[in-house]
Amino acid sequence: MTTENLLPLELIDKCVGSPIWVIMNSGKEFTGKLLGFDDYVNMVLIDVTEIDPNEGKIHLPKILLNGNNICMMIPGGDGETKFEGEDEDEEEE
Amino acid sequence: MSTPSSDDIQLENGNLGREQVTARDPSGFLSQIIGAPVTIKLNSGITYKGNLQSVDGYMNIALEGCQEVVDENVVRSWGDAFIRGNNVMYISADRGNPSSG
Repeated sequence: MTTENLLPLELIDKCVGSPIWVIMNSGKEFTGKLLGFDDYVNMVLIDVTEIDPNEGKIHLPKILLNGNNICMMIPGGDGETKFEGEDEDEEEE
Repeated sequence: MSTPSSDDIQLENGNLGREQVTARDPSGFLSQIIGAPVTIKLNSGITYKGNLQSVDGYMNIALEGCQEVVDENVVRSWGDAFIRGNNVMYISADRGNPSSG
């Protein structure tokens, strides 16, 4: 991984055009393809699945997501796929 | 810039002319969906549908024919409504809107 000296916003910039997994402060999640973002990390996403812990999944064709309540963003995530190392960590515990 | 107005939109377009060509960044997307039917979800979980009249830099929204929607049923209906931007979680271009693709 060449993430050395990579600024956070540069990481997001690399994700433009790719699937991204967004986790909100409330625990709600969004997955979709990142079309663009601004300085506040407001994001334009297409082919979005809104995953609410209580309400379930809702599909949205194209949204502007307010950056104010975003907690975390995971490049390449679809909300379900496990990432490398994740399984190994669980086995070690 | 306390209320959404046509001036705000023009300012945003002027500032971001390059990105507007692709309409992939937030302000480009917004100028693309002005006048189109949208769904607004607030942080509280309340959903509103209506025609997007204008948006400003605070994400304050003027919504024409505003309806409160629960489980795809209209529970309340207003005319024009102002939604204060700090409450907005997302603005979704409704399905069937040609600019939503």
